[in-house]
Amino acid sequence: MIKHVDNPVLEVHDLTVSYDRKPVLWDIDLTLPAGKLIGIVGPNGAGKSTLIKSVMGLTPNSSGYVKLFDKDLKQVRDRISYVPQRESVDWDFPASALDVVLMGRYGKLGLFKRPRKADRDIALDSLQKVGMDAYAGRQISQLSGGQQQRVFLARALAQQADLYFMDEPFAGVDAATEKAIIEILREMSAKGNTVIVVHHDLQSVTQYFDWVILLNMRLVGSGPTSEVFTTELLQETYGGKLTLLSDVGDLIRRERFPNREQFDKAQKPK
Amino acid sequence: MEALQIILAGSLVAIACGLLGCFLILRKMAMVGDAISHAVLPGIVLAFLFTGSRDSVTMLIGAGAIGILTTFLIEFFHKKGRLQTDASIGVTFTWLFAVGVILISVFAGKVDLDQDCVLYGEIAYVPLDLWITDSGQIMGPRVLYITGTVLIILIAFISLGYKELFLTTFDPAYASAIGISTAVWHYLLMGAVSLTTVASFESVGAILVVALLIAPPATAYLLTENLKKMLLITSLLGVVISAVGYYLAAWFDGSIAGAMASVAGLLFMLAFLLSPTNGLIAKHRRKKAILKPSGV
Ligand SMILES: Nc1ncnc2c1ncn2[C@@H]1O[C@H](COP(=O)(O)OP(=O)(O)OP(=O)(O)O)[C@@H](O)[C@H]1O
Ligand SMILES: [Mg+2]
Repeated sequence: MIKHVDNPVLEVHDLTVSYDRKPVLWDIDLTLPAGKLIGIVGPNGAGKSTLIKSVMGLTPNSSGYVKLFDKDLKQVRDRISYVPQRESVDWDFPASALDVVLMGRYGKLGLFKRPRKADRDIALDSLQKVGMDAYAGRQISQLSGGQQQRVFLARALAQQADLYFMDEPFAGVDAATEKAIIEILREMSAKGNTVIVVHHDLQSVTQYFDWVILLNMRLVGSGPTSEVFTTELLQETYGGKLTLLSDVGDLIRRERFPNREQFDKAQKPK
Repeated sequence: MEALQIILAGSLVAIACGLLGCFLILRKMAMVGDAISHAVLPGIVLAFLFTGSRDSVTMLIGAGAIGILTTFLIEFFHKKGRLQTDASIGVTFTWLFAVGVILISVFAGKVDLDQDCVLYGEIAYVPLDLWITDSGQIMGPRVLYITGTVLIILIAFISLGYKELFLTTFDPAYASAIGISTAVWHYLLMGAVSLTTVASFESVGAILVVALLIAPPATAYLLTENLKKMLLITSLLGVVISAVGYYLAAWFDGSIAGAMASVAGLLFMLAFLLSPTNGLIAKHRRKKAILKPSGV
């Protein structure tokens, strides 16, 4: 079930990506609508991070093409932001939270120019949005995992982009922070920004996302959550890890027919 | 006067090496300087064989070219061979050094040259090696001009490219994503390392260069949590190491380079023990404070 849209913010055409000649993404063909909160879902090693990286031009060996806002990446780089997986950097680095958030302004500044007062204000404002303004001067290794994740998010916000790619922004984040972050992402998409998020927790997919991409090396589904997030397609994506999937099946049913009996059944210990 | 010239030469080299070393240790490439110090040998031999000249500019060009080749090879084995950076550094420089040794032994008859004459410049001779213009005017120690120029180039490079160096060191993937080329900045940095180390080998000797490239930045890393302060502290340490090292050597009449390198090591030990944030003693105190709450 792959739904295509007109005037997509992102168009991926026949994309194949390989590492060491071994393909990890195979013939991906998708278009995404603007102004939506979009989830990418799939098992470990499915190629979720790779998909984002290759859209951002970070994987060398790929065929096919990617268009963003109907243009090449190079022409629209400053409209796009990227939040890497948190483990991808060494947090034992002599930098403060504010230093990291300021990096979000570098793309706009261009070569040789230093951040100015206006950039600092934007950076501080972004820190405040994620509830981290009190930690602006704190060295990043002295932040907890969830706080580091929020600093990364603030850096993306400071970029003031139109399209955001986020690789597992909820990894290692507590429930309250996750709620706060999803609120921010909602606001962003309400303002017309498009936010694309790699997500692992199947339980919350229907609550969070307007649109879902199911990925496992090839594209299993892409479309509005209600049409794509189905038991059959999940089965196809996760290759029948049944215990997990029957839970999700329950969940979907519960979402659709929220009656008491179903709820009790889903809650009962097995 | 001589003392001042030696201390000044030592300081210039120490600051230049230290500034680069800060970025190298944060990129986990601290041993690159060591690698270049060995790998340049074939460059020196080839430069000599092709030109028949032993003047320092020829040697510097030969060594500099191989220095850059070294950093290319290290990156190549790391990226294409998926080898760890340290393994890739180890393979590259031992191999190039071996090539240099073979070249020397093959051309032993023709080459009146060994690595001593280039690699082990001696800081004690700085005041003797004067730059005399064609008109016969004495301009002062040649080494001061060379290291001074290198330091000015470096400071210009780091202050102009600070934010790019900072970002590509901390988060290369994000840097590429916002359109800052990690490869360009990597090679600019490695070019700077090559230039600095080779020019410094010739001025003050390889051992001192390798020590100054790592020990002061490592010390500063323990003392601060801010990259700009780390660069500043490293520079101050460079001057202290140079001055204290010189007088230490004068006092017990030993090797100046050796004394400077030892002072660098001692300062590192001090920071390791006493640093207010990362020091062993501070950590020990904190642990005690937790075990024994105040007021008990
Ligand atoms: N740099 C790399 N070199 C070689 N293979 C890689 C590299 N990065 C990823 N792979 C392989 O590509 C496949 C997809 O990896 P990717 O990181 O995109 O998965 P993912 O869906 O993000 O997984 P996760 O949920 O664990 O983050 C995996 O099989 C992985 O082993
Ligand atoms: Mg991933």
